[in-house]
Amino acid sequence: MALFEAQHLHKRFGDQVVLEEINLSFEAGQLSGIMGPNGAGKTTCFNLLTGLYKPDRGQITFGTENITGLPPHTIAQKGIARSFQIINLFDEYSVLENVVIALPRVRDHGFTCHRALTNDSETADRAANVLAQVGLAGREHENAADLSYGDRRALEIALAIAAEPRLLFLDEPTSGVGTEGTARLTELIESLKERYTIVIIEHDMRFLFEVADRISVIHWGQVIAEGTPDELRTNKWVQASNLGKLV
Amino acid sequence: MDLVPHIVNGLSLGLLFALIALGFMLIVGVMEVINLAHGSLFALGAYVAMVIINPAFADFGGIYAAYVGLPLPMRYVLAIVVAPALVAVVGMGLEVCMRRTYGKDPLYGLLLTFGAALVLEETIRLIWGPTEQVLTVPQGISGAFLFGGLIYSKYRFFAAAFALLAILLVWLFLERTPYGAVIKAGAHDSEMVRALGINLTRLRLLVFALGTALAALAGIIMTPIWGLRPHVGVDAVVPAFLIIVLGGVGSFWGAVIAGVLVGLAVGLTGSFASQWSLLSMYLLLIAVVTFRARGLFGKKSVLEL
Amino acid sequence: MTPTTDGGRLITGPMLILFAALVTLPFWVQSVGLYQYLGVEVAIWMIYALGFNLLLGYGGLPSFGHGAFLGVGAYAFGLAQFHVLENLWVGLLAAILVGIVAGGIVGLFLAHRRGIYFALLTVAFGQVFWFVSLKWFSVTGGEDGLLGIPRPSADFGLVEFDLSSNLSLYYFTLAVLMIVVVALWRLVHSPFGKVVRAIKQNETRASFLGYNVRLYKWAVFTLSATTAALAGGLFAMAQQSAFPDVMNLVSSGTIVMMVLIGGGFVSFWGPVIGVTVFFVARDVIGSITETWLLWFGLMFMLSVLFKPEGVAGLWQDSSGESPA
Repeated sequence: MALFEAQHLHKRFGDQVVLEEINLSFEAGQLSGIMGPNGAGKTTCFNLLTGLYKPDRGQITFGTENITGLPPHTIAQKGIARSFQIINLFDEYSVLENVVIALPRVRDHGFTCHRALTNDSETADRAANVLAQVGLAGREHENAADLSYGDRRALEIALAIAAEPRLLFLDEPTSGVGTEGTARLTELIESLKERYTIVIIEHDMRFLFEVADRISVIHWGQVIAEGTPDELRTNKWVQASNLGKLV
Repeated sequence: MDLVPHIVNGLSLGLLFALIALGFMLIVGVMEVINLAHGSLFALGAYVAMVIINPAFADFGGIYAAYVGLPLPMRYVLAIVVAPALVAVVGMGLEVCMRRTYGKDPLYGLLLTFGAALVLEETIRLIWGPTEQVLTVPQGISGAFLFGGLIYSKYRFFAAAFALLAILLVWLFLERTPYGAVIKAGAHDSEMVRALGINLTRLRLLVFALGTALAALAGIIMTPIWGLRPHVGVDAVVPAFLIIVLGGVGSFWGAVIAGVLVGLAVGLTGSFASQWSLLSMYLLLIAVVTFRARGLFGKKSVLEL
Repeated sequence: MTPTTDGGRLITGPMLILFAALVTLPFWVQSVGLYQYLGVEVAIWMIYALGFNLLLGYGGLPSFGHGAFLGVGAYAFGLAQFHVLENLWVGLLAAILVGIVAGGIVGLFLAHRRGIYFALLTVAFGQVFWFVSLKWFSVTGGEDGLLGIPRPSADFGLVEFDLSSNLSLYYFTLAVLMIVVVALWRLVHSPFGKVVRAIKQNETRASFLGYNVRLYKWAVFTLSATTAALAGGLFAMAQQSAFPDVMNLVSSGTIVMMVLIGGGFVSFWGPVIGVTVFFVARDVIGSITETWLLWFGLMFMLSVLFKPEGVAGLWQDSSGESPA
């Protein structure tokens, strides 16, 4: 059984149908990709899966639980973490504070008022470990706002993995980073792949075909193809759409 | 049938509320600035008009005597034209100060105009003193008349009719002039305004001038009913933004309809418990905002008709 | 978290400086031309302002109706003295409980709002409280207020302090202020405080990290309202009366101005500085001209335009210290 499954999802805004009969399933231990041209409904789909919007119809299951329509914080508490296409950090906080806030052990004591957050070595160790994974070790005390764009991208992912997720959603992680940045991110994601079940939305085809085990193609609000990168290269739907040329 | 006077009263109050809210609405809609100084400019307009109608200066000689000798209606009309223009100058000064806050958190605009409200109110207190004053109106529109066995205030009818006229003029401005078209199209989108070849700096200045002039006009019309004291601004600014939130930010007809609804609510509760009539306004706001955050007619675009 | 480890301490250097200045205040206040009762007012408003800044500076939630909770606390103190028991602890407890209830209920309506909409709703609620206190004559005494509220003595079982003189009342108020300072310093550096500040910076991200944003905002609002109500209780005791005017829009705006001028956005001590500036302006500029509020308003406008980080921000610029 798949770790995460979405069945018959529908979503409309006003009279515009954005997603229609979306079926997706992600296996534990795999890196799955969702791709499609701009405006195909990828981001809306992602927002449905992570709880920002409620689907009009359909069901989402995570493990054995039905998580359809739950608010984002509840879904996050169940072990689903996500990053954002538009970088979404705590800009007044240092790199370290950003990661610490994301740790479940801090979250679980979020209403603790009587002791300071500072004196706790276990928290510091975990945060350092996360920063090492994304290549930001030694940068703990820099302000998040002062980092370079590429480092902010890395911190964006760091926040998602600091949550120690069972399933990690990454929303266009290569957005805006350029060729060199993409190389760095490819390397990072290859290394994360060994530890996490990952779902990536991407419009950079080359990147996705390189890292993904399986890919679902969304176009016109529907899943038009699904398979391994090799299978998709020969798929007639993908060939027929503009996507084929890029692959 | 004793509801009739309360409904009439509520309707006229509603039109006046809509007039108070109009200038506020223009500024919120175009600039996304909540102008908390709206009420103080409302008061300032009334005070300036009071001076124009009855200048209480020492005798400066012939010109002064000749001016005071003019018939009251003439001085009143002059006040209605000149006082809003003078207040508009103050409003433009405020806009120039505001420029530093553009592009920052809208909270700064709110805070700045709150400070301006305090400064204006204190200035009024300094010049005209803390006690209640009277804005004289011409005899033709004061007094009362009988209709259907009930007594109505003439001035209330004049005020409501005036408010209606002002509302229609603003509507015509929005509908029929190029600036109006830009305001309607959602001029908060500065890129779009530039694309239309309109000078954004000048547009903002114009909108502030217009918005504050409308505040002053509302003050001149309203204070003969409410009384004129430095603190009267708060009585005006609170309904103004209540109406905007109720009607939906940026909706012209939303503001007008909300104004009338609030007026009716206040008027009708006044018929049951006059003590508590203003409370209904706040409760109405809380109810609407709780169940419909954008207000009755608020939509995504900032200024929709 | 930050390189300085002050956040983990119970008592810090600046706290000791503040406490030392305030403990010795009765000995020097008259030699600088001021008077004893001022100390009581300053201490009470510091409690109010510190609690308010929890909301404004740490939560990023601008309330223009916070005077309502100060007022509610004041009435609760007075009414408890009249109708329950003439006892200091009963009065203060009543103020706190009413603060929790009033803040908690209003907070339910506000917890999912932010920015301008939040500010506008707080104005509406503030006006409701003010209006009710003005019109509900049988309970609040209307415009005349509640008069003749007693100042019961502070009974600690073994010892009892008479609070009828302004000096003893001052030391009692100061003791409460000290407790509030230590508790709030703890709070803002605790996980809760850090989460609240994170939510201020980025609500969306916080909710996707598993934080129930509404619950946190509700909690911080209620806490802030409760602190205001406690200050209100002390205020009723100090003035021996309670009036609706602390609840009106201008009074509620004044606390926003104080906290901002002091530098509440960037420093824990901003509210303390702001209250000091306000009362010095009131009594020093006020002794020269009756229009001191005009000058204070202008000062506030300049601060918003040129230095929203306030006095604390200026000081940090000159000393090169990072925000506390």
